[in-house]
Amino acid sequence: MSHVNYVTFTIVLVLFLVVTLVGFAAARWRRAEDMMHLNEWGLGGRGFGTFVSWFLLGGDLYTAYTFIAVPAAVFGAGAVTGFFAVSYTIMVFPIVLIFLPRLWSVARAHNYITPADFVRGRYGSRGLSLAVAFTGILALMPYIALQLVGIQAVLTVMGVGTTSTNTFLKDLPLIIAFLVLAVFTYVSGLRAPALIAFIKDTLVYLVIIVAIFYIPTRIGGWGHIFAAGQAHLKAISPTTHKPNGVFIPISGNSQLAFSTLALGSALALFCYPHAVTGVLSTKSRDVIKRNMSLLPLYSVMLAFIALLGYAALADKTTAAHVKKAGNAQLAVPYLFQHLFPSWFVGVAFAAIVIGALVPAAIMSIAAANLFTRNIFREFFKPDASPQLQTRMSRWVSLVIKLGALLFAIELHPSFSIDLQLLGGIWILQTFPSLVSGLFTRWFHRWALLAGWLGGMVFGTIAAYKVATPTTSHWAGSVDIEFGHTVYIGLAAVILNIAISLVLTVILNATRVPSGADETLPDQYTADPAAAPAPVPAAPGLGLGAPGAAGDQNLGMT
Amino acid sequence: MTQPVKHKSSIAAHPVTSAIIAIILIAAVFFVLWVPLYARATPKVGDFPFFYFYLLVYMPVLGIALWIVVMLQRRLRPAPDPDAAAVAGADPGEVAQ
Repeated sequence: MSHVNYVTFTIVLVLFLVVTLVGFAAARWRRAEDMMHLNEWGLGGRGFGTFVSWFLLGGDLYTAYTFIAVPAAVFGAGAVTGFFAVSYTIMVFPIVLIFLPRLWSVARAHNYITPADFVRGRYGSRGLSLAVAFTGILALMPYIALQLVGIQAVLTVMGVGTTSTNTFLKDLPLIIAFLVLAVFTYVSGLRAPALIAFIKDTLVYLVIIVAIFYIPTRIGGWGHIFAAGQAHLKAISPTTHKPNGVFIPISGNSQLAFSTLALGSALALFCYPHAVTGVLSTKSRDVIKRNMSLLPLYSVMLAFIALLGYAALADKTTAAHVKKAGNAQLAVPYLFQHLFPSWFVGVAFAAIVIGALVPAAIMSIAAANLFTRNIFREFFKPDASPQLQTRMSRWVSLVIKLGALLFAIELHPSFSIDLQLLGGIWILQTFPSLVSGLFTRWFHRWALLAGWLGGMVFGTIAAYKVATPTTSHWAGSVDIEFGHTVYIGLAAVILNIAISLVLTVILNATRVPSGADETLPDQYTADPAAAPAPVPAAPGLGLGAPGAAGDQNLGMT
Repeated sequence: MTQPVKHKSSIAAHPVTSAIIAIILIAAVFFVLWVPLYARATPKVGDFPFFYFYLLVYMPVLGIALWIVVMLQRRLRPAPDPDAAAVAGADPGEVAQ
C-alpha cells in the first residue's frame, strides 16, 4: 500500500462505515409486523412513495457501471457505443410509461413479486415462466459482477491492495466491502438499498455538480474538452487502421447503430428483474408515473458523466495514466484523482463505491426472489410458506453475491463486460412475453417460448461472431445483421417476435391449448388508491400464493 | 379466454386527451430515435456541438412533457373508476384454477 493517499482512504472508509450502519439500521425503518414475508424483505413492504422511489429507482438504474463504463466507452470510442447511453435513458421513460403502470396494477392485484410470476399467471405456463426467471438470473449475475469491477477500478486507482500477488490478499478490500453488503442485505432486504440510495445520490450529485463546473476550468474549458475528444476519435488506430471512434454519428451506418443500441437498451431496461423489483415496491400507480417524469433528472447527470470521458482525453496526465494501465475503465477515477484535492477524491470515490453497492444489493434481491418464487416454489416445494420463501430468498441472495464475487475476482474484467453485453441481449428476449402479455393474450405461450429460444440462440451466436482486428470474439454488441449495422439485441428480439407471430397463428389454428389466464382485464388498470386492492382468494392448488390472505394490507401500514 | 375490452372505455370517453397523450409519447421517442435530426456539429451552443447540446437539453424538456402526460392521464381517471371498483369488488372469486 505504498501509493495510498491516506486522506482519500480515510474519507472513503468513513463514508463506507456510515453506509454500513445505515444498512443495518434500515431493518427498523418502516418496520413491518412480519418481516418474514417476501413482500417485506423483497419489496420493502410495497409502500414506497414518490420521494423514496425516486432515489431507489435512480440507485437501481444508474449503477457503478454507468459511472465507470459509459465514460470509459466515450473515452475509447465516442458517440456511437458510448454516448448512445444518453439517448437510451431519454427513450426509456416515455416507452415504459406505457406499460409499467399496467404491470404494477396486475402485480398488486395478484401479489406478483417477480416478472416471471406475472408470466406464469398470465399464460398458465410453467415453461415460459421458467424461461423468464432463468434469463433474469443469468443476466443479473454478470451485472452484479460488473458492480464489483467498478469498485475494483476505484480501489486500483486508490492503490489499495494492489501490491500483493496473492489473489485473496489483493482483493481483500473488495471482499470485505462485499461481505458487509451481503450481510446487511440479508438482514434488511430491500429497505437497506432504499435507505442507502439517499446517501448515494446525495454524494453522486455533489460530485457531478462540482465536476461539471470545476474540471473544465482546470483543463481549458468545454471547447477544449470537445476538441480533444474529436481529435482522439478522428485519429487512426494503429491496430485497426480505422478511426478510433465517432464524434458525431453522421454516416447512415453509425446513426443506425446509435439509434438501435439506444432503442434496444431502452426496451431491455425494465425487463431486468431488479428494475421490476424497484417498480413493484412503490405504493401506487401514480408514484410510478410521477417517477417516469422525474427520473430524467438522472439522465442529465448521466450525460455529464459521459462527457467526463472526453475530459479524461483532454487532461494529458489522466490520458497517459489510462493508456499506461491499458484499462479505459480507470478514466474517471484517474481524472478525479488528478484534478480534485485528495479529500474530495475521497468523496468522489466513496460515491462510486456506494453507487455500486446499492444496485448490487437490489439485483441480488431480485435474482433471489426469482429463484425462490419461480424455481424453488414452482418446481420443488409448491407449498412453501411465506416464511420459508423469505428464508430461502435471504440465503440465495448470499449465494448469488458470492458467485458474482468469484466472477469478479477470478475472471478478467473484460470477460464480465462481455457477459454484461450478452446479458442485455438475453434479457431483451423476455420483452415479448412480458410486455405483450400486459396488453393482449393473443400470443400463444409456446410460440413465445419458441421465440425466446430463437432470440437467445441467435443473439448469443451473433454476439460471439463480432470480431475486430484485436479481438476474435465477443468484440461488441453491434454488428451487421440482415444487411444493416445494428444492435444485435434488437435484431434478435425482432426475430423473436417474428417467430412468436408465426407460431401463434399456427398454434391457434390447430387449437393447441393456450393455458389458463388468472388475470382479468380490469386488473391492468386498477389502482388501489382509487379502488380498494382486491384480496386474492387462496387458490385451491398449492401453485398460487399460500398465505396470500393478509398480504394486501401490509403495504398500508 | 378473456379479452381486454373494458379499459378502452376511458379512451373512448376522452378522445382528445388520449390523442394528446399518444402524440406526446410518440413525439418524445421519435425526436431522439431519429438521429439525422440532430447529428450535426453546428450550430454550436456555447462550446457544445449541436449533437451534444440537443441531447442535454432534451432531458429537462422530456421531464416536463412526461409530467404533462401524467397530469392528462389523471383526467382520464374519473370515467373508469366506478367500473373498476365494481370489478375489483367482484374479484375474490376469480382465481378459480
